Amino acid sequence: MEQKIKTFNQKDWLKETVRYKKDPGSWAWVYHRISGIALIGYLFLHIYSLSTLTQGKEVFEAKMKTFLSPAFMVLEWLLFIFVLFHSLNGIRIVLVDWADGAKYHKQLYRASWVIGIVIFLVMGFVMFSHEILTIFK
Amino acid sequence: MFKHQPSKNTGSKSWMLQRITGLALVVLMIGHYILMHYHPESGHTYEAVLKRMSFSWYRIIDLTFLILGFYHGLNGLWNIFRDYDLKPWAKISVVSVLVILWIIFVSWGFAIIFSIPYAPVISIR
Repeated sequence: MEQKIKTFNQKDWLKETVRYKKDPGSWAWVYHRISGIALIGYLFLHIYSLSTLTQGKEVFEAKMKTFLSPAFMVLEWLLFIFVLFHSLNGIRIVLVDWADGAKYHKQLYRASWVIGIVIFLVMGFVMFSHEILTIFK
Repeated sequence: MFKHQPSKNTGSKSWMLQRITGLALVVLMIGHYILMHYHPESGHTYEAVLKRMSFSWYRIIDLTFLILGFYHGLNGLWNIFRDYDLKPWAKISVVSVLVILWIIFVSWGFAIIFSIPYAPVISIR
């Protein structure tokens, strides 16, 4: 009997990726990829926004004024989600590759979410501590 | 007749480097976040930047961050392209674009860092 082997269909890659049954490891892969693309995009912007440093104090601080507005502060805080996920999941990948992490990679995935949410909230307090402290004065 | 010779590079070195640079970036990123957000002014005023940049070791850390960050990021993008069965010409084009992007942005970062003058240090805090 001829056995039909299903191979990856590159034309419908998005449909196949969506349909594929995902366990925590697959979700970690998806989020790692999305956050990685977002971070390299941000890195390009980061160099561009710091390029005003060459033009002296006034130009630089005029630009920084927009980044210190509350809307941008919140965006920066949300960017931290990408940084945190990519860092913690990166550590998880290293543990899976170099330590015996493959045996407990699902626990590592859940643990990285718990640690990440805690650090995210602490970071929110540190970033907005001045605003929070003026409210409760 | 020209016949495409598959590359002998299996990617194991870049695989290893991706992990090593990743771990280095986690350490650098912790320092970066503490410095930038410990105080709202520390990351965002010209004086604060000038003061930090007066230390050559800080410049060296920044340059390391720049090189490793862009290497890790662009190599990561290349890893995504590697998941798809690209034609040789497409592979060569993608790698060329990524290498050119690396050169442009790293040298732009170098230019910014070296354009910042050394300020006379009065007090560290």
